[in-house]
Amino acid sequence: MTPRRAIWAAAALPLLFIGYLFLYPLIRILWLGISELELADLLAERRIARVAWFTLWQAAASTGLTLLLAAPLTWAVSRYEFPGRRLAQALVIVPFVLPTVVVGTAFAALGWRDSVWAILAAHVFYNVAVVVRTVGGMWARLDRKVEEAAATLGASPWRVFRTVTLPILRPAIIAAASIVFLFTFTSFGTVLILGGFRYSTIEVEIYRQAVTLFDLPMAAALSIGQMVAVTTLLAVYARRQERTASPLVLAPEASTRRRPEGRTAWAVAVSVVATLTALFVPPAVLVYRAAADGGFRRLFVDEPVLGRPLDAVPTSLSFAVAATAVAVVVGMCAAYVISRRGSRLSQVFDVVLMLPLGTSAVTIGFGFLIALDWPIDLRATVALVPLAHALVAVPFVVRATVPLMRSIHPSVREAAAMLGASPGRVFRYIDLPIVARAALVGAGFAFVVSLGEFGATAFIARPNTVTIPVMIFRLLGRPGLGNFAAAMALATVLGAVTAAAIMIMDRFRSTDLGTF
Amino acid sequence: MLTVDAVTVRFGELRAVDGASLEVGDGERVAILGPSGSGKSTLLRAIAGLEKLENGRILWDGVDLAGVPPHERRFGFMFQGYALFPHMTVGENVAFGLRMQGRDAAEIRSRVAQVLEWVGLAGFDHRTVDNLSGGEQQRVALARTLAPDPRLVMLDEPLGALDRALRERLIVEMTDLLARAGTTALYVTHDHDEAAFFAHRVALMRQGRIVQIGKMEELRRNPADDWVADFLG
Repeated sequence: MTPRRAIWAAAALPLLFIGYLFLYPLIRILWLGISELELADLLAERRIARVAWFTLWQAAASTGLTLLLAAPLTWAVSRYEFPGRRLAQALVIVPFVLPTVVVGTAFAALGWRDSVWAILAAHVFYNVAVVVRTVGGMWARLDRKVEEAAATLGASPWRVFRTVTLPILRPAIIAAASIVFLFTFTSFGTVLILGGFRYSTIEVEIYRQAVTLFDLPMAAALSIGQMVAVTTLLAVYARRQERTASPLVLAPEASTRRRPEGRTAWAVAVSVVATLTALFVPPAVLVYRAAADGGFRRLFVDEPVLGRPLDAVPTSLSFAVAATAVAVVVGMCAAYVISRRGSRLSQVFDVVLMLPLGTSAVTIGFGFLIALDWPIDLRATVALVPLAHALVAVPFVVRATVPLMRSIHPSVREAAAMLGASPGRVFRYIDLPIVARAALVGAGFAFVVSLGEFGATAFIARPNTVTIPVMIFRLLGRPGLGNFAAAMALATVLGAVTAAAIMIMDRFRSTDLGTF
Repeated sequence: MLTVDAVTVRFGELRAVDGASLEVGDGERVAILGPSGSGKSTLLRAIAGLEKLENGRILWDGVDLAGVPPHERRFGFMFQGYALFPHMTVGENVAFGLRMQGRDAAEIRSRVAQVLEWVGLAGFDHRTVDNLSGGEQQRVALARTLAPDPRLVMLDEPLGALDRALRERLIVEMTDLLARAGTTALYVTHDHDEAAFFAHRVALMRQGRIVQIGKMEELRRNPADDWVADFLG
């Protein structure tokens, strides 16, 4: 039993952090949206109805397309053993970890701006990994005997797939679809870059209303609508998650993979090569065009309005370091509280600390913009951007460290206490060394999240706090091929730094990425 | 001297310990004996400060320990399952309590060597704890408990997880060690023979209450009620 005083001491910082940076701005948004805007006005706006409709159908279309196009690769890597399978599984994750601005710029580099297809293609590119991991994870463990039994009862291969395989995989497919739908429903950077003025999701519209048109009540009302939608989606998803496949049909992964033969071997080869090539093209074109158009040289040259593009790199790196430090300290305090089971605070924290993860980045940025002028005008300080990044990153630190902290048997901490260790020293000598590696992984996530964060930063970046993603976005908005080349080059740099950070982190990671 | 005065510990509706009183004199070894679920481990944890008292007092040399957190009681506690620190070597485990007291490195080193020698694990300093045998783990836990020289040693089913032959050997070693050092000790067990061998006096516990205290022979000769007679055979 950890003394209540120690738990409250650890809880103070996360409570203050979440309370001031998350809950308080949320309340300000609610107040603004409810007090200054009639719901009738909102519905009367034809544009808003169009935006809502577009948000919905593009998310549905992106989800359907992603499931369809990811299916062959998912089938190949989960059912068959072939040279390069592990590599294929690792490579497919790369698009998922790329910042949205990089993905948007890559598709812009293909010459696909201002079109629905560009948006859908970018969404598929980004989310193939979700399907391969979520559905493939279950498919790889589906016992072949179940399918073979159906075959011996006279079912053709297609009927086996339709009547046995598909129904068993259903929970995983629905889970993957929900995640992809949520991601694409709240898509911001990609749509902002590729959609031009014609196509706008609710996220993008919040940004337009607040930053371009300065209609804050309208932006607030849209944020509220977005929160309601996202919360509903998450609730449905959580419900679904409880139902998983019957353990009866699951077998150890290694036993279900076969060597493909004959025509199957060809199908496997085509699935893998075609999908990976399609995923390879956008980043490859980005890098090629950045170099061919002289983008890298441009990074060192002053742009009349934006200044030297390369200056965004040290800004981003120092913000990422600061955000990571804050996120790790706050996240570890929160993990300490959550892992002390039995206290009511632990249950509350378990939910509250995850909220920023389920909130759209744009809402967080918007909230900072309208709320953080009290009690001091935090918006005028350089701390604003790192704090926003830390807020988004805290859930990653918590998720990385809580399982390990929970794995420490209570009697181990009690033994330390009986040997004279105060609660602080128990944390320092027992918890900290045991979760150090996991905390490092959490820190890595926080770092990567901060580097790529765009939704919140777009709202709150000032001329002296322009991060790499914001600089890329602004370069894309400036006229001239030179600026476009510079944007591509900077996107290449950001993609490379992110990939490097992920690879370094991967070496420290003992556990899997887990669920998204 | 330890005084347990009418202590009650509650878990929700259940009174795990119900008005238990007990005295342990300096250098005395007392066993708390009872069937599983009788509250004996909870009583031990309450004395350690690991459970909140609903009622009653715990005193050391007449001083009430209410408000003294576990880490300031200078009591040693050996846990069921040992609770060794998985990320530390044998030597680091044993040294932990000494480090918490702020002893200097040379002193810690010689004390660790001495205590490990007592438990028959001389030279085990650098071994990791996860590839020790059950008996070795038990000895490390004992060494770790004794190293900081606590004023009271509490042992919670310290031999529970071991096989019969090993238990018979270790109870002799452990009793011998504590007797030679003149350590005040409380020993929780459900095993009559262990209790009889280890302790000067035995406290019998049932449903949270201490039903009888005395030397084992006395309890056998004059059981307080039918249940005691039955339990002791």
